[in-house]
Amino acid sequence: MLTLILETVSQFLFVLLSAPLFAGIFGKFKARIESRKGPSIFQPYYDIIKLLKKETLVPSGSSILFRYVPYAAFGVYCLIALIIPVLLPVPIIFTASADFLGGAILFSLAAFLKMAAAMDSGSNIAAMGVSRLASFNFLGEGALITVFIAVSLITATDNPYTTNAYLVSNPSANITLVHVFATLAFFMIFLYETGKIPLESAGLQELGMIDESLNYEYSGRLLAMNKWSGYIKQYLLGSVLLNVFLIPWGLYSTYPYFLLDIPVMFGKWLLLIFIVMVIETTLAKVRLFKILDYLAVAFTFSILFLLLSEVMH
Amino acid sequence: MIAGTWISILLLVVPGAASVFYFREIPVATVVGAGIEEVLAVFLYWLRPPNGFFFVDSLSWVFIFMITSIYLLSSIYSLKYISERNATGVKQHTYYLLMNLFAISMLFSAQVNNYGLMWVGIEATTISSALLIMTEKSEESLEATWRYIILVSAGVTFAFISIILIYYSFGTLTVSTILDAGVRNTLFVRVAVSVALVGFGTKIGVFPVHTWLPDAHSEAPSPISAMFSGVLLPTALYVLYRIFQIDPLTSIFIWFGTISIVAASLFLGYQAKYKRMFAYSTMENMNLALIGIATMNPIGILGALYLLISHSFSKAGAFYSSGNILSSTDTKDVARVSGISKKMPLTSVAMLMSSLGVSGTPPFGTFFGEILILYSMFITNAFPQFIIVVIFLVFAFVGINLNVSRMLFGPAVDAKEPGRLMPSIAIVASLIPIVIGAFYMVVNYAIL
Amino acid sequence: MNYESIVFLLSASILISAFYVQGQRYIISMIRGQLVQSLLIAGTTFLLSYLNHSIDLLILGLLLLFLRGVLITYLLETKVPRRKSYVFEEGVNVPYLFLVDLIFIVVAVFIIYSIIFSSLVPVSQPGTSSTLLFPLLLFFQGLFLITSRRSTFSQIIGYVEEENSLVLFAIFLLPVPIVIEASVFLDVLALVVISSVITVEKFSHERMEELRG
Repeated sequence: MLTLILETVSQFLFVLLSAPLFAGIFGKFKARIESRKGPSIFQPYYDIIKLLKKETLVPSGSSILFRYVPYAAFGVYCLIALIIPVLLPVPIIFTASADFLGGAILFSLAAFLKMAAAMDSGSNIAAMGVSRLASFNFLGEGALITVFIAVSLITATDNPYTTNAYLVSNPSANITLVHVFATLAFFMIFLYETGKIPLESAGLQELGMIDESLNYEYSGRLLAMNKWSGYIKQYLLGSVLLNVFLIPWGLYSTYPYFLLDIPVMFGKWLLLIFIVMVIETTLAKVRLFKILDYLAVAFTFSILFLLLSEVMH
Repeated sequence: MIAGTWISILLLVVPGAASVFYFREIPVATVVGAGIEEVLAVFLYWLRPPNGFFFVDSLSWVFIFMITSIYLLSSIYSLKYISERNATGVKQHTYYLLMNLFAISMLFSAQVNNYGLMWVGIEATTISSALLIMTEKSEESLEATWRYIILVSAGVTFAFISIILIYYSFGTLTVSTILDAGVRNTLFVRVAVSVALVGFGTKIGVFPVHTWLPDAHSEAPSPISAMFSGVLLPTALYVLYRIFQIDPLTSIFIWFGTISIVAASLFLGYQAKYKRMFAYSTMENMNLALIGIATMNPIGILGALYLLISHSFSKAGAFYSSGNILSSTDTKDVARVSGISKKMPLTSVAMLMSSLGVSGTPPFGTFFGEILILYSMFITNAFPQFIIVVIFLVFAFVGINLNVSRMLFGPAVDAKEPGRLMPSIAIVASLIPIVIGAFYMVVNYAIL
Repeated sequence: MNYESIVFLLSASILISAFYVQGQRYIISMIRGQLVQSLLIAGTTFLLSYLNHSIDLLILGLLLLFLRGVLITYLLETKVPRRKSYVFEEGVNVPYLFLVDLIFIVVAVFIIYSIIFSSLVPVSQPGTSSTLLFPLLLFFQGLFLITSRRSTFSQIIGYVEEENSLVLFAIFLLPVPIVIEASVFLDVLALVVISSVITVEKFSHERMEELRG
């Protein structure tokens, strides 16, 4: 029991505390490739601390939704951090609260809450961002959920830990057609959800602004929460991609060794950051309306994957 | 019986031989070739080839006879028609070459003893006839050609699935072997037969996949429209019948035929172009023949054959007389043609006879065919379909004859008979069904 | 590495090439996509001819390589109007096309595959009925390409895809007599030649008042 509590606490804290770091490493690497000096890798932490100290302003017309949603969304991401294999390859205390599909739906819930809160602010820019996000998300979320359902078809259970264990023990399952399709679709979704080039939803110019417009009216502590949950979301999606799809190996589950998972995850993340970096620096940003095309391709892949896994098993 | 095989081979070779005169005198050579074909087809009745590469029974003979007859009539009619209409899309000698290939591919499909090669033959008819539609080059005829190519090819591709499934089920594609084995009712055979209904149905004009039919018929030059209506569609029906024989799915076929007749009669009612109207009439007649075949009893099949053979002449007559009207008035609109009975008496007689013929008026052969098919539906207990079909046959009858009488009577428009040849061919074609009808009555009374 | 998974991999690439063609606006890249698809099918045919020790399939593969890979691509490419890179189809809405396509495919394929095709037992190696899914998908893909596009080229390519699917179906299920199989190719070739006559005159196909009803 004690080990279980220890495992739970370490996974939770690791996700919470290290998530901004990966964003920082990413920013630094990118700056270096672009021949800039770039900020410190701890810059996201500094940002969060600075924002926590600042005064919080709330638009006059907004309701209670605007003020509490950042905390609610943060809580949802924290819950997801407990139910999917983002550090440990074995179930921990809260894992039983939802399955893989539940995790996907929680992602959608958080996105919905953020959009509702942004609408509540009454700002035009936020409304524009929400309408863009909504028109993209109907494909993005659809693909995400489809991939998660389809993954469960491989092992006939909706438990990501089982999938992970299955992939570790059957190396050949990693190169089956079904798995390759799913990985591809999920990788595309990862790029979209975390706003990387070629999509770059994190950009600040009005023409391409999508994600940032949701934070447009936020300031101070609320903005800090939003930013932090953004980092956590990136970490969660990336870790699922790594642990369930891309590289399921290398994780320890027994008592003292599970602490080794922390450097292992760092290593995996460095690889992922490298891959994303290559994509970011070689591709150009697509036009806003092309994002739908991109998501349609991801969605198509996920549905085809569903079809294939249904037929071949 | 070796002589029979030689006749079958000659039937395929003669139009090709006529095409050798491509650079000089191909029109005359084609007519002579078609004449020889007609004689050969008649001889084929007594001298059948043994079942080997060819498979010719009495049923296929009827189709072969139809093909050669309409081919002969159309080639004679073309002599005048094509030189009068300026053939800009396809040069005159190419027109005859393609027409010969078209005839060969149809004769091939009707004679060959292999489902796969039948499919090849039907595809070949599409390829050889496609360019014929754009003989009189215009924006519409190009569009009609394209629709014909893409729709029919895509549809007939479906049929190939059914060919593969037949090969999978029987291990052979030889028609005589499979039919001798008797009815085989497995899942795959049922699927093969139903897929063939959709696939070859595209070419026959079964309802949801008929859309190319009116376009192609109205834009093609009249002799080619006559060949399409008169023999191309029956040839496709023949191939479908051969597949249907493996496992008769009577009720599906009858329902599809019934729905198509309803659709054809409704569309037919509001057509403003006379050639399109005749095209829908073809669709109606073909589907009636499909029903006759689908009832799968001797009376129905006999009725279908009567209907098909008389219809092919009547419809050829209808398209020839349409061609006469088109070349003298230069319009396809029903509304812009009236009173031609005063200016073009011969054509008017042909038009009236053939429109009565295609709508199934006694004493034309089509009437007896329809009666037999309806009777056969009655004895196979297809009562709801029977009632629907009778109602919509009346619709179609009224629709066609009303439009034709508008064209024939009333105030006369400026028109004159285009020479002697074209009207007389039209009259010959439109009167043959009466002979067939009379022949039926004689035979029938002789038996009774 | 067993051959079955190579066959699956090839078939899946064929499927992806079909989606690639469906999502293209530029005609030249549709033609290239068709080329890749035909080459993949030729590759599959060679692999199957090796697995089944069949000379017929080898000949078929060579025919595919020559007719589809070289001749049809050449014929189509020379017919694309002069300023090649600018020729594209207006109004191609990729997300919409893909979604409708998926609905079309999923419904059609699941019904047809699960009722009929899954119980077919292929004669040729590798004898799993799962392979038959791909020709079916490709068939409906080609059909959808024909119905969803207006330009002559797209419709021809849709038709070529359809015929490709027939070839694939035949080689996966059982070797059909080579004469009939070969005539499928000649058929497509003849069709492309005929349509090249038409494309000179008419580049896209809209509704027409004259041909209504």
